[in-house]
Amino acid sequence: MVNDGAPDVEVVARVLGGDGEAFGILIRRYEPGLLRFATRMLGNPDAAADAVAESLVRAYRHLAQCRDPARLRSWLYRITGNRCRSHLARRHTNDIPLSEAPAPALADNTDAWATLERSEQMALVERALSALPAEKREAFVLKHVEGMSYEEMAAVTGARIPTLKMRVHRAREALLVALEEVVR
Amino acid sequence: MSPIDPRLQEALDGERDPGTLPADLREAYDRLTGAAQLLAGAPRLSVSARVMAQIRKAPHPQPGESSTQRALRWLGRPRAVTVRLRPMWTLALAAGLTAVLLLPFQNGSTPQPGNAEGVAQFVGHFPGARSVEVVGSFNDWSRGMLHLNDDDGDGIWHGAAVLPAGQHEYMFVVDGERWVPDPLAGRYVDDGFGAGQQNSLLIVRPATAEP
Repeated sequence: MVNDGAPDVEVVARVLGGDGEAFGILIRRYEPGLLRFATRMLGNPDAAADAVAESLVRAYRHLAQCRDPARLRSWLYRITGNRCRSHLARRHTNDIPLSEAPAPALADNTDAWATLERSEQMALVERALSALPAEKREAFVLKHVEGMSYEEMAAVTGARIPTLKMRVHRAREALLVALEEVVR
Repeated sequence: MSPIDPRLQEALDGERDPGTLPADLREAYDRLTGAAQLLAGAPRLSVSARVMAQIRKAPHPQPGESSTQRALRWLGRPRAVTVRLRPMWTLALAAGLTAVLLLPFQNGSTPQPGNAEGVAQFVGHFPGARSVEVVGSFNDWSRGMLHLNDDDGDGIWHGAAVLPAGQHEYMFVVDGERWVPDPLAGRYVDDGFGAGQQNSLLIVRPATAEP
């Protein structure tokens, strides 16, 4: 029996050894980040859930192909990023329709005014993010929302580090303009 | 859009203490990091139960192979260029395709495409195979949903399915364990796992759009 705090390498070995239920540990560990990433990329929580579910099933099926289980997180984000790109390509646009922008996540806060203000800020930030081209949006989210290093971002996206830095810098510039006077 | 001060980029990259930024850059720093914090809220969805239900039905992943095993598997895997250049195979496949086109559905089980749907035909040459099925993006890569048939035992497996119009990725699963791209697909796409493997690509046109 492998415990929930076991390193990825140990859990992967357990799954490959025949304990399919141990894959649930990896799901619980990475699902929140993958869903957040896919939601920011697709702008639609339902589409994001589909993309993440499909990615996790594919990851399970191809788990033996994960050449470095110590970097499982990067591998899972890479699969999910690919599914998101496929989804966006099918929509023939990298922009998220505003009508699909996720509803603002209301904080659990008894101060209704603060909650409303935060909700409005959230909607504006999401709208600004959705206006970015997909590559810049992905770079910004991986760097500043998921907190990845440029090295890990390179493993996830397959892009070179200077390219990723340029995308992040351009995304920051565009967001700063869009968020003028919005988030203080 | 104008370039922003390199000092701000450095602070956002963690290469400079944001406390050393002048007031205007510090404000921009706070604006961007505040936006990132808003976006970092935890999602309220979960796909855990759904994924676990699917993987309990999926074949168990096997541990990695040795380089020799990988080489043998690569040599044993059908390649489009090989199949297409062998006249015997080409003739057999042409005969199989003709048979499928003339008698596409049997025993009253004709799939009826609805609006925005079309019929996809699958044909593969797998002599000696005990079973061949098709998995793909249209059935969430789940086995047991689309089996091909080889009623006369000539090694040509075929079947059909009604699918939503549009583009689908798929692979054949031979004998329940060997995942093989369709040598006749004509179009392929990287499977997204970084190992250079490819899925076959199928484009289904709506039946109502056909002449």
